[in-house]
Amino acid sequence: MFLYAFTWTEFAQQVAAGIREGAIYAGLALAIVIIYRFTRVINFAQGEMATFTTFIAWSLMNHGLSFWTAFPLVLAIAFAGGVAIERVVIRPVENAPVLTIVIITLGLALLLNGLMSVIWGGANRQFDGPFSTRTIDVGSVPVSVQDIGIVAVSVALVVLLALFFRFTKLGLALRAAAVNPESSRLVGIRVGWMLALGWGIAAVLGAVAGMMIAPVVFLDPNMMQTILLYAFAAAVLGGLESPIGAVVGGILLGVTITLLGRYVGFIGSTLKLPAALVLILVLLLARPGGLFGRVAVRRV
Amino acid sequence: MGARVLFVCGCIAALAVTSAGARPVVTPGVSADEIQLGSSVPLSGEAAIAGNVARGIEAYFKYVNDKGGVFGRKIAYTYLDDGYDPGRAVNNTIRLVQQEQVLAVFSSLGTSNNLAVRKLLNDAKVPQLYVSSGATTFGRDYKKYPWTIGYIPPYSEEGELYARYVVKNVKKPKIAVLYQNDDYGRDLLGGLKRGLGSNAKSLVASVGYDPTSADVQPQVTQLKASKANVLMIFAFGKFSLQAFNAVSRLAWKPQIFVNDVSSASALMAIVPQNAAKGSISIVFGKDPAAPLWRNDKGIKLFQSILKKYGSSINARDLKDGYFTAGMATAYTMVDTLKRAGRNPTRQSVMNAASHLNEKGNPFVLPGIVLHTTPSSRFPLTQVRLQRWSNNAWHPFGKLISAKP
Amino acid sequence: MRARLWLELAGFAVLTAIVAGLPRYVSDFRARELAIVGMYFIALLGLSILTGYSGQISLGHGAFMAIGGYTTAVLSIDGVYGHQIRDLWTIPIAGVIAGMAGLLVGVPALRLSGLYLALITFGIAVSFPQLPKKFDHFLGGTTGKILNLAEPPFGLRTTTNNWIYYLTWGIALVLLLAAWLLVRGKAGRALKAIRDSEVAAASSGINLATYKTLAFGISAFYAGVAGSLYAIANAYVNPDVFPIILSVYLVVGLAVGGLDSLVGLIAGAGLIYFLQNHADTVARWINHLPALNLDPKQPGIPSMIFGAVLIVVMLLLPTGAGGLLRRVFGPLTSRLYTRS
Repeated sequence: MFLYAFTWTEFAQQVAAGIREGAIYAGLALAIVIIYRFTRVINFAQGEMATFTTFIAWSLMNHGLSFWTAFPLVLAIAFAGGVAIERVVIRPVENAPVLTIVIITLGLALLLNGLMSVIWGGANRQFDGPFSTRTIDVGSVPVSVQDIGIVAVSVALVVLLALFFRFTKLGLALRAAAVNPESSRLVGIRVGWMLALGWGIAAVLGAVAGMMIAPVVFLDPNMMQTILLYAFAAAVLGGLESPIGAVVGGILLGVTITLLGRYVGFIGSTLKLPAALVLILVLLLARPGGLFGRVAVRRV
Repeated sequence: MGARVLFVCGCIAALAVTSAGARPVVTPGVSADEIQLGSSVPLSGEAAIAGNVARGIEAYFKYVNDKGGVFGRKIAYTYLDDGYDPGRAVNNTIRLVQQEQVLAVFSSLGTSNNLAVRKLLNDAKVPQLYVSSGATTFGRDYKKYPWTIGYIPPYSEEGELYARYVVKNVKKPKIAVLYQNDDYGRDLLGGLKRGLGSNAKSLVASVGYDPTSADVQPQVTQLKASKANVLMIFAFGKFSLQAFNAVSRLAWKPQIFVNDVSSASALMAIVPQNAAKGSISIVFGKDPAAPLWRNDKGIKLFQSILKKYGSSINARDLKDGYFTAGMATAYTMVDTLKRAGRNPTRQSVMNAASHLNEKGNPFVLPGIVLHTTPSSRFPLTQVRLQRWSNNAWHPFGKLISAKP
Repeated sequence: MRARLWLELAGFAVLTAIVAGLPRYVSDFRARELAIVGMYFIALLGLSILTGYSGQISLGHGAFMAIGGYTTAVLSIDGVYGHQIRDLWTIPIAGVIAGMAGLLVGVPALRLSGLYLALITFGIAVSFPQLPKKFDHFLGGTTGKILNLAEPPFGLRTTTNNWIYYLTWGIALVLLLAAWLLVRGKAGRALKAIRDSEVAAASSGINLATYKTLAFGISAFYAGVAGSLYAIANAYVNPDVFPIILSVYLVVGLAVGGLDSLVGLIAGAGLIYFLQNHADTVARWINHLPALNLDPKQPGIPSMIFGAVLIVVMLLLPTGAGGLLRRVFGPLTSRLYTRS
């Protein structure tokens, strides 16, 4: 290992890289949190669903559509896909043990991954995102417009979600169905459809994340596999139920492991994952509900 | 059970007889009209795309069979999916040897996957031919593992070539290296260090990344801080793409060298060109996506074979270098079988593989001779340097040797 | 209850007879395949004690298998103070070391519930392969460690594959019996009580912490034994031999087998082996369906098949093979109960 003189410029660049990386995890973590919150399921297919929709966007753009024409189309497709998945493969087993549903999402992940290889091949693709890759100097640190855009989008998504859940009737109904399905049914909320809606929203969030990430890490069927692992970590860190927690958790994770990997020689790039695990475990032992989660009170 | 034990004894006896040079009674994998070969490759999991090597091989063998086979025998080729998991590669290899009764295991993919089966194949005296990995050990350690032979130029030599080029052509070089932190990346880095020799000081920074990383921008940022003017990218797949991306975003302008494995035209064409332009790499195979070979006879042959004999082939496969790489190896394999004589045995096949003198393989650069001797088991050791400009690789200079 | 006991003992006897006789009717390589199924079965037994009986979900049991595998590799190649240990004798040691690691994980696990625990254990599965890379002088890094090929000991005259088969299934039957005794006994009732309601269990005097931690330890012991056998069968370990997906496959096997059906787990173990290694056979079956023509050699198709089969199996058998067994044999045994 080489030891370099510590410079504040590089430190700032590393922090910037960490924030951007964290924002990437946050995008997918948001989707995981939404599904967990509304259906109590951990969706292992979230990464592949996001990649799949990104491939659809890629195909549309390959056929001459601009990013901003393709964008709403892809979101609509993602939403429909998410709802359809819930209806076709999750609904029939909604009363089965939670493990059964987890396994189905795993099966879905494998199925989608294979399907992408068959349809689009395994090669890496270039995906032109909405943001320029031009760099601008912030202080003396070059930061790309794309990086700023990615961070801005994940913050914007959280705000939108918060507004949606707080101020729309549908959002309220969704929350009600999640908290107390029985009573919700009594007041006329169609709980079954609310769950499907949750899957739809998560799929849309995943699609946005995919389209933001693809320009940075390049598109291929396995694009999200590593990111999903970090996204799980980010979601747990944030408390599994809280959208804000997902984003804060993601960025915290991104910055922490980037800095640990860079400045703690023993950790390096090899022990980043174990280091993240230990950090999260310590946090969970102190706060079993994560940063923003609530701990259910046990009653006899 | 008794019958099986007898059968195993019979096989061993047959092997003993054939290696003594008498007329073969039974050679596993060779019948009156067929020769069995097999490999273990990933067709699922993260490295699934590399499995196309085996599909290229399969198409080429069908083409050869259609033209009459080798000494009248058709080549039957079995390839099994290992998901890039060495444990499954072991299982597949045992299946190939014991159940499919192959004459040789050939072109299995991946360094660890081949390391995992090397001992058991050598113990059973089954040839492990043309390993799809550039780890130096497969060609170097023939004394301990006489039934194993590599194929592509060893990674360490590749690193050494870049070092020699930099020392000769770059003024006051300060070299930074991004490498994959495993045997593969360290092999390249080790070769580079050896090549620098007395100029070791010009290596100012080397940073490894782990294949579980999401993005290598932090590593590239760290390398940039070393104020180097040369960057070596010893990476794999998407990580090398990300490295070019990071170089571009950090507004860094080093002379880039990128290792062969991550230098496919299809990859280079999609990274930011302000970073990619002027990059240097080595080349020994023909890249079907490169404009340079658009009208090349070898590439046309490759495409016509793939269209006619490949299974489930679509348009993008015709530009996929993995298929071409497979056909190059298959060509050498057919050559080996011809050299092994009318009644090939495992011993004669191994002899043939260590006495190669193959000219005119249509799928590698013109002029390359694949040459081996019992004490030099690196078949493909001639390469050229190439430079990336105008969205294409342009080879320059003569063929140079990458022989250890 | 008596009738059920006899039924289960008879079942065990039949299973033993099948295990003992099977190699006569299959090829030598098939015996090896069945041995690997046996290894998965051992790991699943452990997982069933943890998840099926104590209700703690672990997505990280591949890591305990890895600990077992690496223990065997280190002891049989490097040995202790230069004394190499025969692979056979490393198996119990591997189990104990993995078991201790399990106890270690079991303690913080007490504070985590449900899917938090699942995700933290998944983190263990993800993180563990990094350790051999970091401590490569000791654990071999990505190069891995090459073991000596397994050979039948004591001058037994049989093939390596048959030896591994009998070794694995011999251990599997012993461990099945042990698991059966455990879940039938006081500990098993305590665990089931915890699974069904922690609060109720605690208020009836069951020490939650002890039992839950113990379940983790025992379960990891099983996984360690399985990992040790896997290392012996492959004569090789490196981080990729115990990939992240292995932990996932184990949970798949558990769900397919039925969480708390010890015998149903054989089906789960068989399925995860079969889907990984015989996608081509499955493709041939699927291609009988109209309008389908899957080429199992095309990259991606094996994953598609694996995923699709999983989904269909779980939709048809949401409670796994064990649930099916109960539905078929349940009425029969309950009639027997009422009569006795």
